[in-house]
Amino acid sequence: MEYLDGLIVIVGLYVILAASFNLIIGYGGLVSIAHPVFFALGAYASAILARDLALPVPLAMLGGTAVALAASIALALPSLRVSGDYLLIASIGFQLGLLEVIKNLRFTGGSSGFINIPPFLIRDFGRASYVALVLAATAGVVFLVRWIARSDYGRAMSAMRDDELAFASIGRNAMWMKIAIFALGSGLAGLAGALYAHYFRFVTPEQFELLQSAAILTMVVVGGMRTTWGPVVGALLLEALPQALAFLNLPPSVLGPIQGLLFTGLVLVFMFFRPQGLVPAQDVWRGARAAKESR
Amino acid sequence: MRDVLAVRGLNKRFGGIVVARNIDLTLHAGRVVGLIGPNGAGKTSLFNLISGVVKPDSGTVVLDGAPLDPLKFHQRIHRGLSRTWQHVRLFPSLPVLDNLLIATRDYPGERIVNVLFGRRRLKEHDEAAREKATDILGRMGLANVAHSLVTDLPYGQQKLVGVARALMGEATCLLLDEPMAGVEGASYAAMQRVVREVADRGVAVCVVEHNVAFVRDLCDEGIFMFSGAIMARGSVAELIRDPHLTELYFGH
Repeated sequence: MEYLDGLIVIVGLYVILAASFNLIIGYGGLVSIAHPVFFALGAYASAILARDLALPVPLAMLGGTAVALAASIALALPSLRVSGDYLLIASIGFQLGLLEVIKNLRFTGGSSGFINIPPFLIRDFGRASYVALVLAATAGVVFLVRWIARSDYGRAMSAMRDDELAFASIGRNAMWMKIAIFALGSGLAGLAGALYAHYFRFVTPEQFELLQSAAILTMVVVGGMRTTWGPVVGALLLEALPQALAFLNLPPSVLGPIQGLLFTGLVLVFMFFRPQGLVPAQDVWRGARAAKESR
Repeated sequence: MRDVLAVRGLNKRFGGIVVARNIDLTLHAGRVVGLIGPNGAGKTSLFNLISGVVKPDSGTVVLDGAPLDPLKFHQRIHRGLSRTWQHVRLFPSLPVLDNLLIATRDYPGERIVNVLFGRRRLKEHDEAAREKATDILGRMGLANVAHSLVTDLPYGQQKLVGVARALMGEATCLLLDEPMAGVEGASYAAMQRVVREVADRGVAVCVVEHNVAFVRDLCDEGIFMFSGAIMARGSVAELIRDPHLTELYFGH
């Protein structure tokens, strides 16, 4: 059961990561690869706040989320002032640089990782309670993104993606919208990190490397960008499938490469046969359709 | 006649090409001014300089008594400037009505805090915006296409939607870039009527247009531009008759 609980938590957290990344890259049209770094920031900040500063875990989790959110603004503000392309370049540097910093600092535990993170809920109410917390957060994030995408804000995001100059010509401020989208998406990744830290109670820097960026991007692309269920399906598929393979009792030397193959193979197959992803997005902004249908 | 927009000493060059040569221009409330001249005269560039899409090398732009120079494009729109585009630039993923709803001068939905915590304000704003948009579309004869996608409309109607969108901000100064290019029939008449109505409500309008009949029928005044400079200002009939300007226009 412990294995299954852990699997549900991991899949749930990846759904949060994919859904929040969908907000950034799908709805916001912002290309960044640094999503795992905000996941890491949330995890480390919450862990340090709870273990070394003895903050209650829920407060530490909020703190972790806030740290990820603040860091994302610090990254987005200077790069988006120049242009959207700079965000990608800055995000690569930020990811590589910050992981090196974590590896070389004493209070983060260095490259061997951060251990003995205080647990939450599990001792008093059992593992199932933490699983429920993660599932609730997952559902909350998925529906939050869906709600935003269909709100007045979603209308603005649609217009901004369509034509940024025309967007400015009606008095809208694209730069602040992009910063807000990036901050919210990254903050949610930080929340996923905080939830990770207090369940598994151990984090290492290499969990958040470039491969993770590719994994989250693949989940969104294979699942279907700019849809509610695309990132959910993508995260389920790409997290659960490699785990299922583990049941085949293959030796680790074979299992690792097979999982990697599965991963890249899926991207290739989708690129050729279903570029829109498993759940195809509508060309028309969904909010307008929803309003029309309810009339 | 109140001065709405005052441009003084505007200069801009791109490398060796001068697109604005010491331009002085005043637009008055309730007047429609036609900006004419051959291609490459700097008409659209002047709109870009006034609206802040392009920064001038020197010169100032004042709207309703306040200088616009330090402001960015979208901030100038907030101050009461509005413009359309030669190639429409509507939002293809939004229906006609939503293209307008997003174009009010203040749009609380562009701030995520309002979406999360200011539902009532959004609702009130949305109701008012819908009323205004429906009214504008009705006046343009577009009421029946409010829920269509802009890409499904004929080009002439798309141009009308572009102007309708520019009217949502209740601007005091409206810059129209070739509103008539590609517009025929019922849309032509609607465009003419709407632009006149807007001016009659006290908006200062400036139109870049190659359609001589449209300029003659609609504009109170014409300005002739050539090679980045204003060559003449006067009644449209006078400008059309001037043999020197005709020569510049057709390049004999």
